[in-house]
Amino acid sequence: MTAETTAAATELVSTKMNPNVIPHLHIWEWHIPLYLFLGGIAGGLLVITSLMIIVKRKFGIGPKDEGDGCPCLAVRIGSLLSPALLGIGMLFLFLDLAHPLYVWAFYTTVQPTSPMSAGSWILIAFFPLAILQAALVNKKFLRERNIGIVNKLIDWTEDHLTVVALVNAHIGVGIGIYTGILLSFFSARPLWSSSILGMLFLVSGISSAAALMLLLAPDDEKPVYSMIDANAIWIELVVVGLFVLGGITGPANNSGAMMHLIAGNYPMAGLPYMLWFWGIFVALGLVIPLLLEFLEAAGVHIRFPQVAPVLVLVGGLVLRFLIVFAGQTYHTFM
Amino acid sequence: MAKQKNYGMVIDTRVCVACSACVYACKSENAVPEGFCRDWVVQETEGAYPRLRMENRSERCQHCANAPCVTYCPTGASHYSDGTVQVNSSRCTGCKACLAACPYDARYVHPDGYVDKCSLCKHRLDEGLDTACASVCPTASLNLVDYNDPEGKAEKMMAGKEVYRQKEHAGTNPSLYWISASNKPGA
Repeated sequence: MTAETTAAATELVSTKMNPNVIPHLHIWEWHIPLYLFLGGIAGGLLVITSLMIIVKRKFGIGPKDEGDGCPCLAVRIGSLLSPALLGIGMLFLFLDLAHPLYVWAFYTTVQPTSPMSAGSWILIAFFPLAILQAALVNKKFLRERNIGIVNKLIDWTEDHLTVVALVNAHIGVGIGIYTGILLSFFSARPLWSSSILGMLFLVSGISSAAALMLLLAPDDEKPVYSMIDANAIWIELVVVGLFVLGGITGPANNSGAMMHLIAGNYPMAGLPYMLWFWGIFVALGLVIPLLLEFLEAAGVHIRFPQVAPVLVLVGGLVLRFLIVFAGQTYHTFM
Repeated sequence: MAKQKNYGMVIDTRVCVACSACVYACKSENAVPEGFCRDWVVQETEGAYPRLRMENRSERCQHCANAPCVTYCPTGASHYSDGTVQVNSSRCTGCKACLAACPYDARYVHPDGYVDKCSLCKHRLDEGLDTACASVCPTASLNLVDYNDPEGKAEKMMAGKEVYRQKEHAGTNPSLYWISASNKPGA
């Protein structure tokens, strides 16, 4: 026994048995990471489609419009998917509540110090304008249906699509950041307690959204999404680096938690965190797709162009699971 | 007019024998479901043989004056009352944010779908009674106090002794004070 362990030896015997906190925090399983992933994509889709609309309308840059005031196909699909995916994400959030029937309690109060209260209101604010944008970019097809109230709504707002898009770009950023801030305000959980987590989840959401649009877009629209994705990925690499460095250079709580994530052998689905983090998230989810998209932009023929965006989506999902799980399996703030 | 109450506890670990009477009194008084607890007993042993030092103590929610659970609660279910932290189960959605926020891991999810924890027996305090745990403590280790009490019971108990609060550096300003076992003769 070394002198150090002799001096520091402490044995703690506790009769506490609550399964939510013993042997470590255990409150969120698959619902929350899936919600954070879908929420991130929804925010990212809203940011990208809004900016595509604004850039096309104001500067004439971007793929050719559909015509009759409708933008290109990917923007139209992306605008529809954004509220749809957020709706599915919120369903998981709802299912995670221990008492789902009391969900109304979020909406009879505003708790200014609670990020989750702010988030529950942002989620509600998101839908009217995101759905309005989805309607406006597809108005040609909605007009064919000739539904009275929808026609009136389009008549009333169609001249203001760029304004709607401008507001939506901000709401999209808000949703993306919120999915990270939700965790980062828990100072009792050292891995989550990093304010850069909001930025990490925002850029990850934008790159996942770009990857999804890259998969869905017709060939002539693909290059722009490949470019957005590649840029988002390298920004994400920088932010991941800052997140890791901020952790390991931090005080004992934070550095220990970061090591638990990046060098830990605690298993998730049979594989240690370290392998998930470096092997699957960083290498497969960021570095390889970045290389593939770079090669493709440089004119190299890639036999399976779907591989890069699929890897990005997998990486984004793995990131959410890793952060949510590793944040719970590390010990509470000491 | 009587001053507003500001309840807390002074826990004298010198006399705690870790008998767990407080745990059973609490389970019975508050109908705590099987497999869960609002309070628990900790035995902490430090040092190297033969120079060992042991502290027994009964732990529970710290009723922080700056409680992260209240700060984070999105519905106002977790709230302050007379210096204690309470959960209004009819506003609790079971989102579990408070469990993540608590540096003391003092909370649990009740099988009925809300978050539960030590209430410092607020229903008993309102009737002028002691907490269930303190009322059965055979060695008077557990002491309910009102920090606004002009007679200064808490200050008198702690005067001249080594006293600490848990994880004060978390910025929570907890309402539980512990008279350290290092005050014991020969410790």
